[in-house]
Amino acid sequence: MTQLSERYLTAAIRGIPEAERADVERELRSSIADALEDRLSAGEDRLAAEKAVLEGLGDPVRLAAGIAGRPLYLIGPDLFVEYRRLLFMLLSIVVPIVAVVLAAVDLAGGDGFAGAIAAGISGGVNAAIQTFFWVTVVFVLVERVDAAREARDEIAGASGRWTVDRLPALQPSRVTAGETVGEIVTTLISVGGILFLSGAAWFADASGDVIPVFNPAVWSLWMPILIAVLVSIAGLHVVIFLAGRWTMPLAFAHAALQLAFSVPVVALALTGSLINPKFADAVRWPPLADGNGPAMLALAIGTVLVTAWYIFDGFRRARRADVRTSGIGEPGQAAR
Amino acid sequence: MVEDELLKTHRQELRRGTVVLACLMALRAPEYGYALLKRLDAAGIASDANTIYPLLRRLEERGLLVSEWNTDDTRPRKFYRTSPTGVELAAQLMNDMTDLTASLHAMNGGPER
Repeated sequence: MTQLSERYLTAAIRGIPEAERADVERELRSSIADALEDRLSAGEDRLAAEKAVLEGLGDPVRLAAGIAGRPLYLIGPDLFVEYRRLLFMLLSIVVPIVAVVLAAVDLAGGDGFAGAIAAGISGGVNAAIQTFFWVTVVFVLVERVDAAREARDEIAGASGRWTVDRLPALQPSRVTAGETVGEIVTTLISVGGILFLSGAAWFADASGDVIPVFNPAVWSLWMPILIAVLVSIAGLHVVIFLAGRWTMPLAFAHAALQLAFSVPVVALALTGSLINPKFADAVRWPPLADGNGPAMLALAIGTVLVTAWYIFDGFRRARRADVRTSGIGEPGQAAR
Repeated sequence: MVEDELLKTHRQELRRGTVVLACLMALRAPEYGYALLKRLDAAGIASDANTIYPLLRRLEERGLLVSEWNTDDTRPRKFYRTSPTGVELAAQLMNDMTDLTASLHAMNGGPER
């Protein structure tokens, strides 16, 4: 045996479990010697013969994996579907929660609006990376560790025993009049609420003037804009009803209008310029108007969550309708 | 003309199972790895060293082969022999193979649709 063969054996043996090492090494050693002998007796040059034999055995890491019965993939087809399902489910839950919580904590810590957004984004990215990493690590271990065989069979069995009961239900893609009326009523209630609060005359100052709820310095500008946006949203729902279904362009328009409403509201709330400080004093709770106070923080977080849901829902419906009209007969698409 | 790459892939798929069957049948008489490899080659059953050695171990793990070290020769060699279970399995697989070949021939000779 020359150095080349020894190097090959060492590389191959490294990947074999301790208990089988001696046996595998002995067998490989004699196999290499046999093959080499054959080639030498056929008159081949020693170095060329040895190279040919070892290259015939292929990558020692691959050979060792084959002998040890170790998979040459991270997650095999038996587990992959469940892996992906769990990963997407966890990502869609963990990432938004972590992002919102971290942004809120940052705000509560006295940081500005921009700082809070940055904290939320970086927190969300970190949460996504962590989730991805740990879910993958667990599945890779389940795939490879012998003790996890039961878990592997369980998971593979769960995805393997597919029955028609597991088919996702078909949602009617046609937008109904009821849905549309519901959306419009909701939007108009918001308009009514704004008008009601703007006109409320619950308190008066010493000179008898009404103390408005909203900060008069900014409200005269923003109130008409916000109402206009809300009315546009109601109008858009009429357009969607007439179109019969959500489409991607409609979902984008919807998202833009939702943002046009929520971004100013959140910005006003967090900068402390939404509520009239005098009103906060009048109700004897000055922190009400404070941009970093609990009330404005709750309003901002609530607005962000509700808006995120509305936008997500719009795109979800648009995609569902897309799949319904274009994806008939394309396997895999409808199942998503 | 079928592309070489395409042909190669499908040939591999087709042969994958038959190598197992060939090993089980060939090893009804004890043989060591390298000699088996040569024998398969001579019989026209193409196989690679890097698939045969892992395969022998896997079949042994499943109880289809038994092995024994022979140290009488110039160098120690691990001899494999098909176990009674392996012989039985090979007989069944061989029947399936025959049926399958007959079916394919029938389909090949039958009217084209």
